[in-house]
Order: sequence, then structure tokens, then C-alpha cells
Amino acid sequence: MNALTFNAGFAPSRIRLVDIRRRQLLTAQLRMLLLGAGFLFCALLALLRIAWLGVVQPAPAEHSMAQALLPPRGEITDRNGVPLARAFPAYALWYNPDALGDGGSPLVKSPAEVAARLHAVFPDLDVAETTRFLAAGKAGYIRRRVLPEEVNAVNAIGELALETPAEEDRQYPQGRLAAHVLGYVADDGHGRVGMESYLDNRLLDPSERGKPVPLSIDVRVQGALEDELRSGMEAVNAIGAAGIVLDVDSGEVLALASLPEFDPNRIDTQGAKNMFNRATNEVYELGSTFKPITVAAAMDAGVVTDLSKRYPATPLHVDGFTIHDDENLGPTLNVPETLIHSSNIVSAQIADQLGGKRFKRVLEDLGMNERPYIELPARGFPIWHKGDWPRLRTMTVGFGHGIAVTPLHLAAAYSALVNGGIWRPATLLKVKPGDEARGRRVFTEATSARMKQLLRMVAVYGTGRKANAPGFRVGGKTGSAEKAAAGGYDRSQVVATFASAFPMDKPRYVVVVMLDSPQKVAASSYQRTAAWNAVPIVGRLIPRIGPLLGVMPDDNRDIDLSDLKPLVGDGGGNE
Amino acid sequence: MTQQSRLRRMGWLAVLSLCTVCYLALHLKVHAVQSEVVRSERQIIALENRRMLLETEFETRASQEQLASWNRLDFGYAAPAAGQFVENERQLAKFGTPRGPGAPAPILVAAVTSGEKAPSFANFVSPLGKPVDERLLEPDAAHHDVAERTGATISIPLAAAIGNVRE
Repeated sequence: MNALTFNAGFAPSRIRLVDIRRRQLLTAQLRMLLLGAGFLFCALLALLRIAWLGVVQPAPAEHSMAQALLPPRGEITDRNGVPLARAFPAYALWYNPDALGDGGSPLVKSPAEVAARLHAVFPDLDVAETTRFLAAGKAGYIRRRVLPEEVNAVNAIGELALETPAEEDRQYPQGRLAAHVLGYVADDGHGRVGMESYLDNRLLDPSERGKPVPLSIDVRVQGALEDELRSGMEAVNAIGAAGIVLDVDSGEVLALASLPEFDPNRIDTQGAKNMFNRATNEVYELGSTFKPITVAAAMDAGVVTDLSKRYPATPLHVDGFTIHDDENLGPTLNVPETLIHSSNIVSAQIADQLGGKRFKRVLEDLGMNERPYIELPARGFPIWHKGDWPRLRTMTVGFGHGIAVTPLHLAAAYSALVNGGIWRPATLLKVKPGDEARGRRVFTEATSARMKQLLRMVAVYGTGRKANAPGFRVGGKTGSAEKAAAGGYDRSQVVATFASAFPMDKPRYVVVVMLDSPQKVAASSYQRTAAWNAVPIVGRLIPRIGPLLGVMPDDNRDIDLSDLKPLVGDGGGNE
Repeated sequence: MTQQSRLRRMGWLAVLSLCTVCYLALHLKVHAVQSEVVRSERQIIALENRRMLLETEFETRASQEQLASWNRLDFGYAAPAAGQFVENERQLAKFGTPRGPGAPAPILVAAVTSGEKAPSFANFVSPLGKPVDERLLEPDAAHHDVAERTGATISIPLAAAIGNVRE
């Protein structure tokens, strides 16, 4: 009984234990299942997220520092690395009438009050016009160029409608300097007019735009050229002026100016009118500056062998026309006197003896039958007569009439005259030493050496005396050509040119200065010819740029003129 | 489950959690450094933009046109003339003037270095009959000492001065 009782007492507890154990096992399995399901759910979520990222969401933009520092448009510098055009992040002031979004008045304050507050930030703002603009409620730019300090001041006004979006800005730190060389960037982001247009693809190319493009321009020389050219132009009331400084050995343009100029930082209608480039785009009959080319071509061809040979200087009658000089220069002249006194009659005879065919070929070799070689898009086509030249044309071209070229053509021709006879295309891109264009030989070395002497004589004894800066050994030739007008020439309008090179004992730079329609004023002693207006500009310019370009003035050095000096007697020429 | 295997399992768990903690710490550190780098990059970009702005402003204020107008109004500097340049020794020598008649001979200053026939240092004797400086009594030693200290060759004036004192 006892045993039974024990058995009976033991069995239910054992069963209960088994029951508990099973239940716990079940719970554990259930929990495991839940945990597994949880993991599965998480994995599924992660997979879904990956799929979402991969398919729907765009990849996050990579913002590397190199990219952020890459300018949106490449920088243009001068030959010494001085920035001439650069892009930098700037701000604009944009009026957004919908900014408040409540359909009511776009401004919290009155338009007049906001305009007055803006006027306090931008003193040159037109208050009345801005008030009208704000009241009209149309979106638009109030200003295109705003400085960071000004942005803060505008934000302090507290008008939501005045937005200051970040914009890329093209800045020309030198202002109007070299405007025709640089050009400008239009609203579409592409360059216009100058090197901005020529280099457009290069400046926008992401792989190249990080590196600045050096031009051949020297900003100091350009500044001096424009300064002297402007004061010279204003002194004689000329309508325009052009100037070029060219390296005779590499063809690099150190400075190129056309006045009046425009401001690439602010293009307006007045500026748009001045975009025409007189130095490379407009063609002029450059007159007597052609005479040295005629003489050099004749020397090369063996037509002029004796510089002391005298030519008759009485007016020439050819095909019903009369070629005469401005004044009576005596019965006969030799070649140095012809250049010093600038005789049309003798130059015409020399050109006539040379013959149209040979003269034309020399001028073709000097590139005068095609547009000038320069990177600028503005390149004028010369007035050039194809086919055989009649005798009269050959003779008039001999003294620079009947052919019209740009001042740049003349500068390139003069550099061939003085550098030993090699013509090279002009370039506005910096040329590494040794990478100069090969060029082509137009004149012989001997002719070039003679021309250096003759050009120096013009500056010492002739019409170029006002350019004879002490110590710089300047040589050059003046030219004052009457401007072509309807039915002939306008005697009251001339193009005064002085083409020069320095230092003449070893020429390194050609300087061409041209004034369009200078007037007879007191500053030019009531004269209109180049000797009184263009020549003094060069005389003031060369001492300024010479030391910058490594040409030091030296009174003890000069080209030897002793063999030609007896030919010109006491010197002295008409001015 | 034996005691050993349980211990091993706990060990693995501990290692795993340690690795996880380390990984998390590293992960946080990497993120911290990365965000610092990004912040620095942003600072560099901002500074670079600021520098460019200032540089451009500087260039604009000092443009050639502005400099020319300042020069015209305020300074009036002119381009240097030929006389202001000296290109070589010959030109420099031109500035020298020849000695006029009866002018005194130019004073030539010579120094004798110790390596040459330099006279030895004279003994320095005090007026009181007692040497002032022991080192000066041994010229060679003093000489070397001074030479060592100054790191240069010694020249004659010291000896001359001492000679005077003795007299």
C-alpha cells in the first residue's frame, strides 16, 4: 500500500516535469523561429535597401576638392603669369517675386524703401529705376556682380525676394587693358572677340582648364603702350589709334592695342561699338612706311646697288597721273635722302625699275596678300590686287598707296626688314625659347643690315627725330597717307603711322603706332603728318618699355652710320 | 554540454564581442577622420576662393591704368635715362677719377695673417710689475685661444697695441 501510495504520489509530478520540459522546448523553438524570422526580415530589408539604392536612388555626387578648385573656365595670364582673365565664384542679385509664396505682395517693405536700402549697399544704383523694377513684380537681375560683403548686407535687409544666387564670374583685373586681345565672355558662357573666343574650347576643357594659358602679352608693356597711345591720340583729337610691339625674333606680340577700347567687365552699347580692332582688322593705306620695303626689295633684286646713285626728283607723269612730293626736295636725291625726306617720286622710280612682278612677290612673301597671321578672330583682308600690276600701280605701291594692309602686316614686315630678313607669323601665345616659328627668308642678311642703317638715319636725320630716345638707338619710318574717300583722297584726313624698331644695332622689338585722322592742333604744332603726332608717342613709349624688355639705354653704343653719313650731307629733313 | 565546451563558447563570444566593439570604435574613428578631412577640404576651398577674390581685388586696384594715373598725379616718375644704367665693369670704372697732380697717395690698408710672417706677441707687463693676464704672457696659447673663439685668423693690431703698452 505504501509502495502504491508512493508510486501514486510520484507519477503525477514526473508527468508534470515532462510536460514543463516539452513546453519549454516548444517555447525555445518558437523563439528560435521568431529570431530566425527577425534575421530574415532584416536581411530582406537590407536587400530591398540595396535594390532601392541601386535602381531608384541616384548615386550621391562625388565632391572632390580637385573638382571644386577647378575653375569653370581657364585663366588667361600674360607672359609673366599676371592674371588677365579669371573665373571666380561670385554672386548675383536676383529679384524673385514668388519667393514668399503667399500670392500677396512680393516684398515685406515698400519697393521704395527696399530700393533705398539697396542704394545704401550699392551707391551707384539708380533708386527710381530700381523702385519701378521692384514694383513691377517681374523676376530679373538687379545686379550681375555682387561681392560677398555686399551679399551679407543685402541679406541683412531681410527681404526673401532678394536672392543672391552663386554665379561664376569672369573677371578682367586689368579692366580695359588689352581688351581687344582678350575679348570677353558672353552670357552663353562662350568667348567673343579676342583670345577668349580663340581659346574657347581649351578654356572650357575640364582636362586642361586647370592650367592657365600664358599669352605673349607683357602687361607692363601693354599698359605703357595704351597709356602713351591714349594721351597721344587725345592730344591730337584723332578718332582712333592702334599700336603694336612685336618681338622680331619670335614673332610674339608683346603688346597690341586698339583705341578707343571697351571694358570687358561691362559690355554696353558704347563698348560694343569699340570692339572693332584697328590693329588687326582694319586695313589702311599706310603710305611712306612702305618705302623701306620698296628699297629693300630693290636692293635684294640688284636694282639698287649704289646708294649714292642720284635719281631725278621732279614730278613724274605716268598714264595721265602725276606723282609728286609734298615739297620740292631738290633736283635729285639718292636712296638715303629718299627715305630721310620721304620722296614719293624716287620711291616710285625704284619700284618701277624693280618691276611689278618682283615687287609683288616680295610683298606676298611678307604676307600682304592674305589676312594677318594672328590668333584673333578679327583679321582684316588687305586690299590687294591679284594678277599683273600695271606700271602705275607698281609705282604707287612703291610709296604705300594702292595697297591697304593692317598695322600688324606692317609690323611683321618691319621685323623681317630688321631681323636679318626672316618673316615670321605673329602670335599672341607665349613661345618657349627654341620653339619659334621657322619663318621664311624674304630679304638677305646684307639687305637687312643696310636697312637697319637707313631706318636709323631716318630717326637721326629725318622725320623720325622725335622718336630718337637717347640711348635706345631707335630707327623707323614715318608715313602720313591721306584717307581714301568717295572719288579719291580726303586731304583733310590722314592716317599717320610710325613703324620703328629698337635697338638698331641689334634689333629686338618692332613698334608700330598708327593714328587715325589726327587733327592740326597746338600739341602737334598745327601739323598733321606722323612726325608731329605718331613719332613723339614712340619717343615716349620706348624709354618706358625698353628696360622692361631687357634693352638698356646706352649712349656709347649705336649702329655704324659712318659710310652713309656723307651721302646725306648735313642731314635734316622735312617733318 | 561539457564545462570545457561551454567555456570555449563563452571565449568565442567574448572574442567576437571584443572584435565587434573594436570594429565599431574603428568605424567611428574612420568616420570622424573622414568628416574632418571633408571639413578641411571645404575650408581649403573656401580659403582658396577667398584668396582668389582678394588677389583679384588687389590686381584690380593695382591695375596698370591705375598705376599710371597714380604716377601721373602723385609720383611723377619718369623712365630712367641712359646715365642711370651701369652695364659692365668698364662703365663702372668710368666713374672713377684719375689722381690729380700733387694729390696724396691713396691709403692702402694691409693686414698680415698669422700664417705669414706675423711678429709674435710682445709680453704684456703691468705698470705695477705684475702680469695682468696670464694668457697674454703666452702669445701662442692666447693666439690659438682667440683664434678658436672667433673662428677666424687673427691680424696684427693686437700685437702692436701690446708693444706700445710695454714701452
